[in-house]
Amino acid sequence: MSKSQSHKQSSREQFIDFAKKGKILVNQCLNCKNLSLETAYYCDKCFSKSFKHVSYNGKGKVVTYTIQSVAPKGFEDVNSYAWVVFRIDDCGLNISGFLPGVSSPTDLPLGTPVKVVDYHDKHGLVLEKLEV
Amino acid sequence: MREKVCVLGAGSTKYGKLNESVIELALNASKDAIESAGITPRDIKAGYISNVFGVADKQVHMAPVIMSNLGIPNVPGLTIESACGSGSVMFREAFANIAAGFYDCVIALGVEKITHTGTTESTTLFSYCSDYFYEGGNGASFAGLFGSMARAYLATHKASEEDLARIAVKNHENGFFNPKAHIRKKITVDEVLNSPVVASPLKLYDCCPFSDGASAVILCNEEFAKKSGRPYIEIIGSGRGASPASVQSRKDITTIPSTIDAVQQAYKMANISPKDVDFAEVHDCFSIAELIDIEDLGFFPKGEGAKAVRESRTTLKGDIPINPSGGLKSKGHPIGATGIGQVVEVFEQFTNKAGERTVKDANIALTHNFGATGASAAVHIFKKVK
Repeated sequence: MSKSQSHKQSSREQFIDFAKKGKILVNQCLNCKNLSLETAYYCDKCFSKSFKHVSYNGKGKVVTYTIQSVAPKGFEDVNSYAWVVFRIDDCGLNISGFLPGVSSPTDLPLGTPVKVVDYHDKHGLVLEKLEV
Repeated sequence: MREKVCVLGAGSTKYGKLNESVIELALNASKDAIESAGITPRDIKAGYISNVFGVADKQVHMAPVIMSNLGIPNVPGLTIESACGSGSVMFREAFANIAAGFYDCVIALGVEKITHTGTTESTTLFSYCSDYFYEGGNGASFAGLFGSMARAYLATHKASEEDLARIAVKNHENGFFNPKAHIRKKITVDEVLNSPVVASPLKLYDCCPFSDGASAVILCNEEFAKKSGRPYIEIIGSGRGASPASVQSRKDITTIPSTIDAVQQAYKMANISPKDVDFAEVHDCFSIAELIDIEDLGFFPKGEGAKAVRESRTTLKGDIPINPSGGLKSKGHPIGATGIGQVVEVFEQFTNKAGERTVKDANIALTHNFGATGASAAVHIFKKVK
């Protein structure tokens, strides 16, 4: 078996694959059903380390955000963008992402629906506003 | 039974854009602290160092280099990193080792050298202190993370961007009287509001600068302090706290759980309540941080911090002076040193070395310092020894 065939995807790699399809992968504790983001290794309620993956549609509502004017390296190629915290619909977990094309707070009232559209090597979890 | 722990000496470089190497900064602050305590390096039994980005000046594992250059290469040292909270988290470890009786005298030294990397590189390096996969990796700088906290706070509580600006103005007012401050410049609310946006709603003057600098204190047990015949102050409370690492994971983005846990432990150890504190040095990396801090530390009820700011209750002559040194905002924020710099301020206040920024009739002081967006925090309470 070749090295590439034997490579088992890490949980982060699986998260990224799902994000590229517009989904958010979370962990559900097999013991107490508590949901955690996929990077958790232990349940923060019962400390079990047994999870199953559950996939949610990457849609949610904006909880808070900032519009970055001074950007870290790797984001200089983007004209203006927001770093957004949003609550995943039907899940109760918050997650963060990169939303390009936002230059003013009037562009993004709190509660605006957003969705995951991609995972980008340089920009991370890419979002766009969901047209209602 | 726990030993009483005292601060016997304190020293600090200026904070700012400095020419010296990270090791030179560390040694300069150490020498000042050692001389302030009236001791020689021979008296030091261990070195506690805090630093985050030594790699930016090509020096990690810096404790042995510092101890060697202090003339005590066989004295053990260690370097602790907890992002911007490194200084206070390290201070707590130094305190604990003296309290437990392992050592009678140690040096606690924080140092940072970062300005030579430039704004973009510094911004990027600091973003590595976040929960990077969810935060820095998705484009959030530290100003951005606190910008998101500011937006949540302003949407939830009765506060405005003007209130945030008032905090920055106050700290610049205080820092103007601090000869070691990075930015000694008075500003107005209008200047803050009209300064360029860094990460909305935070503007340039809502943000602390990137700074180089080092601060050091000598910690000892009470017996050592009394034998020295020198002025000293006593540490009467210490607390440590932790919060979920990422902003997204917090139930309430307008509070920092680690601060609340740490300060409650410290108040309990000191057997005091918030009203007994005469002044506090709190972590104001951004103006919104100070607003959240003064509520989390129990000085004002949740949601009423802005009203207190508007009423000038946190100025040098107010009910509870906050950041008489000028805070991170004006004094500067060399992130590995800041927590120790706060202790230096308390020592100077209590030993009559604070000049025009002296808080009158102060006997109890509190220092509060956290890492990243509050993932780690430490609070210490000090008593003036008459």
